[in-house]
Amino acid sequence: MRSKTMALVCAALVTGTMLAGCGGESGAGGKTKLTIGLFGNFGYTELLKEYASTHPDIEIQDRTASYSDHHKNLAAHLATNNGAADIEAVDSGYIAQFKDTPDKFVDLNTKGGDQLRERWLPWKWEASLGKEGQQIGYGTDVGGLAICYRRDLLEAAGLPSDRAQVAALWPTWQEFMAAGKRFQASAPAGVKWFDGGPTVLNAIVGQAPVGYYDRSDNLTVGANPDLKQGWDLVVDGVRADLSAKLLYSTPVWNTGFKQGQFATVTCPAWQMAKIKDQAPETAGKWDVTSVPGGGGNWGGSYLTIPKQGKNVDKAVELATWLTAPEQQAKVFTSSGLLPSTPKLYEDPAIVNYRNPFFNDAPVGQLFTDAAKNLKPQYQGPKAGDVQTAIGNAMQRVEQGKQNGEDAWNQFVGDVQKLTS
Amino acid sequence: MTALDRTARRHRWDTRFAPYAYVAPYFLIFGVFGLFPLLYTIWVSLQQRSLLDADGASFIGLDNYQVLFADPYFWNAMGNTLSLWLLTTIPQILFALWIAQLLNRKVRTRTLFRMGVILPNVTSVAAVTIIFAQLFGRDFGLINWGLDLFGAGHIDWQAGTASSHVAIATMVVWRWTGYHALIFLASMQAIPPSMYEAATLDGARNWQQFWRITVPLLRPQIIFSTIIATTGNMRLLAEPLLFNPGTAAATGGSDRQFQTVALYLYEQGFSNWDFGYSSAIAIVLAIATILVAGLGYLVTKRIQTD
Amino acid sequence: MTAVLDPPAPAPPAGARGRARRLAGRVAGPWVYAGLIAVLAGSAFPVYWSLVVSSQTPDAIDSVPPVLVPGGHLFENIARVFDTTDFALALTNSIVVSGTITFSVVLFSTLAGFAFAKLRFRGRNVLLLVIIATQAIPTELGVIPLYMMMSEFGWAGQIHAVIVPGLVTAFGVFFMRQYFERAIPDELLEAGRMDGCGTLRLFWHVALPAARPAAAVLGLFTFMQAWNDFFWPLVVLVPENPTVQTALNTLASGYTTDYTLVLTAATLATVPVLAIFLLFGRQIVGGIMSGAVKG
Repeated sequence: MRSKTMALVCAALVTGTMLAGCGGESGAGGKTKLTIGLFGNFGYTELLKEYASTHPDIEIQDRTASYSDHHKNLAAHLATNNGAADIEAVDSGYIAQFKDTPDKFVDLNTKGGDQLRERWLPWKWEASLGKEGQQIGYGTDVGGLAICYRRDLLEAAGLPSDRAQVAALWPTWQEFMAAGKRFQASAPAGVKWFDGGPTVLNAIVGQAPVGYYDRSDNLTVGANPDLKQGWDLVVDGVRADLSAKLLYSTPVWNTGFKQGQFATVTCPAWQMAKIKDQAPETAGKWDVTSVPGGGGNWGGSYLTIPKQGKNVDKAVELATWLTAPEQQAKVFTSSGLLPSTPKLYEDPAIVNYRNPFFNDAPVGQLFTDAAKNLKPQYQGPKAGDVQTAIGNAMQRVEQGKQNGEDAWNQFVGDVQKLTS
Repeated sequence: MTALDRTARRHRWDTRFAPYAYVAPYFLIFGVFGLFPLLYTIWVSLQQRSLLDADGASFIGLDNYQVLFADPYFWNAMGNTLSLWLLTTIPQILFALWIAQLLNRKVRTRTLFRMGVILPNVTSVAAVTIIFAQLFGRDFGLINWGLDLFGAGHIDWQAGTASSHVAIATMVVWRWTGYHALIFLASMQAIPPSMYEAATLDGARNWQQFWRITVPLLRPQIIFSTIIATTGNMRLLAEPLLFNPGTAAATGGSDRQFQTVALYLYEQGFSNWDFGYSSAIAIVLAIATILVAGLGYLVTKRIQTD
Repeated sequence: MTAVLDPPAPAPPAGARGRARRLAGRVAGPWVYAGLIAVLAGSAFPVYWSLVVSSQTPDAIDSVPPVLVPGGHLFENIARVFDTTDFALALTNSIVVSGTITFSVVLFSTLAGFAFAKLRFRGRNVLLLVIIATQAIPTELGVIPLYMMMSEFGWAGQIHAVIVPGLVTAFGVFFMRQYFERAIPDELLEAGRMDGCGTLRLFWHVALPAARPAAAVLGLFTFMQAWNDFFWPLVVLVPENPTVQTALNTLASGYTTDYTLVLTAATLATVPVLAIFLLFGRQIVGGIMSGAVKG
């Protein structure tokens, strides 16, 4: 038995690790270290470098987690008063939940926020206000809607691929599905019309005047005709085999972009950053055009400052800078995230911006139009969880486990349980 | 006081108290971080308690249990857990017996084969589940490609109840069979060959010898393996969680078709932050595990020589 | 966190093993080899497949027939993993966690095992019984209170929260105790006492040197188990400060770009344990076959 060598190796391993464990976490050279907790792509990489270079006393560390993990953990950090980053991003699906505990966050109005409110779209500003008017977060982007589509795949199926002509195919979601049936009839093998039911459904829900909650935080799910009509429409599309049956934000969905498994995908502005990240090699094959039904919002975020942070003032300063119009403009041209600052919607640098990845689509024009048409929708406390539940329900239909009615009824029951 | 006295006294002190000092670290750490939380779970399970509202905790008696026993998601999870228990434990033991039987021959490169069977056991459950999830992928999975080759068509492994259970069971069986095989092998080697020689003279075939001599003699090991496998397989969490990753991972599929009780515990505790309810699930899972292990014991105990 | 029971049948004593090997079984025929090779292939395949995917470009995923041999993009993919996530932090954390736990479990198990096996003290049998009994209890059932404690201490999200509960195991104590029972003759200790050695010196000069082989096996298994532990780190750590296993979970949960990346990370996570396995496979096999090790 080589016990001696083994003991030596073990000892070496252990001492090595003990040494490794001694490295502390102090910022180098007396710098203030700010952490910023994100999910997905906020387009901040360059901006954070820029900020650090003009603020030599600041060191910034950004950390990115998946959408659900990020919000789940933030809730825990706030509850235990420990572990939150200095700046935490919050998605619009969760902002209502967090604004219910405004005392956990720095009230930005006390830090000069009330002077800045004109920067943001009024509804963006209001959606993050606590009960007593505390402002818990500065808006980053809004999720103005469009459709991204693969020119090559549409052409292969004999459909037009020019933006205006494509937009003319689908003034409404009914016509979107009808065009899908035409597409599917002569589509290349293995390619479906849209990526997955839940993605389409989120866009339709985002266009409804009332979403999952009314303004008094009551769930509308069972009684809201817009939701049910949207649901039925997507179910029809799924049954016509238009769906690639890929749930958004999963590895298979990511692969789907790469492999060209679908011809269209709902494109809130932030989606463009995702497509570019996920399938860089499809550059030039994509294009962007307007969404059926017009207007609508899906997603968009806020930067909040949890009170537990040690460098609250410096964090406020950074968050204010990141969400300032100049920076939002840069994020739009670098990553496609649509500013929540109405002033920029008239800015020629934004309006005339074309995105080379998307076949030089005039995304500036397109998304500023979308932003102007956007009918803001109130988001209730558990909107994010409801969205997950309806995604599961649609998946049950796609997987052939349930018909549309059963899946819908189960969803309504699930949601009641969620909020009871 | 003489030096001798001092030595003697020190010696007495040493023999009386030193042993306690040696065992103390274990009991201290285990007491605080092992036993206490375990017992405290019972107390939490009798409370309405949410992480997000820690000050609002209140004693509610057995309410959590009452809700739990009327909760269709819980029973769904329990059904899945039992189904997975069957689908993992039985093949694991049978395969392990077969492999042990193979290894119990005079084989060249013995160590290579033994290391080979145990290899899956040392890999990390997270890594392995991710690898298998890819192999079982609907569109680009190797397994579906293989099925296609034989004209069997694609299976959406994650979608179906049975198919997802088979896929998850495959991961577990793959990971644990070798471990049990080596346990069985150790005991097989201790069986005196004279027993087989006698049987051969009686004209018993190989497989008859296997079932009549080997298996009964392995009864203690089979009981041991069954219980070990049961306690492990009744609380599968990483496999169902990572099999279908995404925003809704903790639900174990769109229809909770592969959500285990442990995963439901995780969902309630660490996604909904409902600590009272989650603790009640933990307690019920513990009791269920003991019951099922007892059942496994009763079944395997009946193995006997004829 | 895995349950451990008292294994019913210890290995045949060392002297008998030679005889058993001589007598055991018939010579293997071709079918036996075929079966064993199939088992070997099945065991190794998923790990091999992971390596294959990690060394390809993402496009290889849908090629028909599938690519079955490694390509040349492994290092490029590894670089991408380190670019996309803080995998270096995850590796460091895992090494610190597993290293500290291994060191501590071996140390405390050796101490307590020695006391239980070779020293007399009141309550010894009761305490030993407690240890045996607690081996069977799955500790993750206490996960909620444990999490509450860690939050209370302000440890949630930090690696001490993973290290501290793992510092001792009932199995380790029991394992070392069984070993000392057999490995050190009482006479040796008596002789030492006659010479005026205190318990600590006996432990240091007699027990510890004798414990080396068992301590090494215990260390191996503890390290691998701590490295692979998933549930508790998942619960108590945050994605920003992960172990390798929870980093894998984050990577797989959809925010990354492709399977190549995820499987490269899975391969990376497996390499350290695989290396230990290849170096010490014989001891690991021996450990399990002596009925010693975990379930």
